[in-house]
Amino acid sequence: MAEHILQAHDLVMKFGRKCVLDRISMQLERGEILAIVGGSGSGKSTLMRQLALLQTPTSGSIELFGERVLEMSEFRTLPLRRRMGVMFQNGALFGDLTVLENISMPLREHTSISLETIEQIAMLKLALAGLEPEAAALFPSQLSGGMRKRAAVARGIAMDPEILFLDEPGSGLDPVSADAMDDLVLHLKRTLGLTVVLVTHDMDSLWRVADRIVLLADTRIAAEGTLQEVLESGHAAAHKFFHGRRGRVVGATYDQ
Amino acid sequence: MEQARSQRQVNSRTGFAIEGSRATCVGNWQAQELHDVEKLMSQVKWPADAVEFDLGGITSLDTVGAWLLFRTIREIDDGNRQLSVLNVNEQHQKLLDLVEDRSESIRKPPKPYVPGVLESIGRHTSSQFLQYFEFLNFIGKLAIVFSKLFLRPWRLRWGLVVKELQSAGVNALPIVGLLAFLIGIVIAYQGGIVLRDYGANIYVADIVGLSMVRELAPLITAIIVAGRTGSAYTAQIGTMMVTEEVDALRSIGVAPLEILVLPKLVALVIALPLLTVFADAMGLFGGMIMASSMLDLNSSTFINRLTEAMTMNSYLSGIGKAPVFAAIIAVVGCFQGFRVYGSAESVGRQTTISVVESIFLVIIVDAAFSVAFSKLGI
Repeated sequence: MAEHILQAHDLVMKFGRKCVLDRISMQLERGEILAIVGGSGSGKSTLMRQLALLQTPTSGSIELFGERVLEMSEFRTLPLRRRMGVMFQNGALFGDLTVLENISMPLREHTSISLETIEQIAMLKLALAGLEPEAAALFPSQLSGGMRKRAAVARGIAMDPEILFLDEPGSGLDPVSADAMDDLVLHLKRTLGLTVVLVTHDMDSLWRVADRIVLLADTRIAAEGTLQEVLESGHAAAHKFFHGRRGRVVGATYDQ
Repeated sequence: MEQARSQRQVNSRTGFAIEGSRATCVGNWQAQELHDVEKLMSQVKWPADAVEFDLGGITSLDTVGAWLLFRTIREIDDGNRQLSVLNVNEQHQKLLDLVEDRSESIRKPPKPYVPGVLESIGRHTSSQFLQYFEFLNFIGKLAIVFSKLFLRPWRLRWGLVVKELQSAGVNALPIVGLLAFLIGIVIAYQGGIVLRDYGANIYVADIVGLSMVRELAPLITAIIVAGRTGSAYTAQIGTMMVTEEVDALRSIGVAPLEILVLPKLVALVIALPLLTVFADAMGLFGGMIMASSMLDLNSSTFINRLTEAMTMNSYLSGIGKAPVFAAIIAVVGCFQGFRVYGSAESVGRQTTISVVESIFLVIIVDAAFSVAFSKLGI
């Protein structure tokens, strides 16, 4: 039985009267790649933000690395946050810092190793994320969408986190870059032993990288398990999501 | 057995110790803990003939730790030493392989290009000239749109004008009124100190009246509005530039100047003189309160003196400046909004520039008015 490094119990999120998430319970096992999927507005980004401790649910509890984090003060969760990395949808790179400075930032803040070593580590992470060394001197505004996401991943893994959250890693990228992004996720999992939570609605990504899928529909978890299990679950939402015209094309090619 | 004992002897804190040719690494080799190790590794005198790194005591290793080890091994590898790494578990080996694989790409990072002094001066100068040119261009375009308005005044979006009047005018009343009131008190107090010594208490009405109505009310109001409304114009248009809403307007075939700038300009040219009148009244009221409490000048005496001291000219010379200030604030605010490009960060920068520039221009123009009025004898 694999270790559960992140567990959520009965998460409820309400915006005013509108219920976005209704009693969501789920676990994350060490070393797996978990994909949270669902239609637009199904609350998948909200769920990810809650798991990454960026948003507090209306009610429910989250156990991260064996500690109940929602009862803890923001200050006390800081050491736990260092063990997680987040790649935001549009990168959220600091605009007035170069790529290298962006990646060095967590190391500068949390360690007292020498600047030279920090820069070397940042260059290493840059290479791991699949960027050319020349990109280090550029500012975020000079990067293409794909490079920005890679730089954001590099910053996310700067401190060797145990969990990496990826918000729509493939969105806004051309198919080739999106494929390369999937490769990157698999590569990071293999080399660094990362646990990855990703939010996506890209079918290709689901087929290629996800070990397990959580399908959100109508504020609840509609289906959960490997892609095959979700497909066979017979849930109406799963059917609609995966057997729609877009889903079927991809599914057909992979089935062969 | 023997190995286990030697591990216990070494301090369980993160670090390493050299005994003979064996370097025993222990503890938590993670980024947060490694600063001492890093220092030690560069200072320590390594055995000349052979070094065996024993990783058996490392409880956890991350890429920083792996890189430090790898770098040190590479540095001390001079060809004569026998180097070996012992007791590496599978996961640590993976990380060591990882940094070795990527070690090629870890080199001195390229530095971003920083221009020299002369080049910076040159760049700044040319960009300033370019900005003046753009500003004139903007004013020219605006003039064309404005002149068309005279031919077809019904084309102006009066709905938007009313909305802007509400936000730039009505909503600014409390802050403008309060500040003008306080300025009136301050002027009466400062003037009162001197006048009391000369027994010329009554002339406090002259001081408050003339300074307030001719100079302070228009200026203070313009400065408040520049900070409050001019910045809002820049931020609004700037945000629309970032989200491509301005381009969307163009693509629909609507001139952004007509829908975004003109209503604001018209509304502010109407609102600012009205706000100035309100500031006049509040300032005089403040002065009157101070005069009665400090100089025992009752309000009817104060008002009587006021009507003698003030002329229509001085009142109009104050109010007359307001539409000019309004035009400056609206045009600068909108212009800087259109100069936003790229990211949201640029919105903040242009907003700051907009406020500073419009206050600067307002004061310059105010000084020019003073010179002109003195020459004309108004």
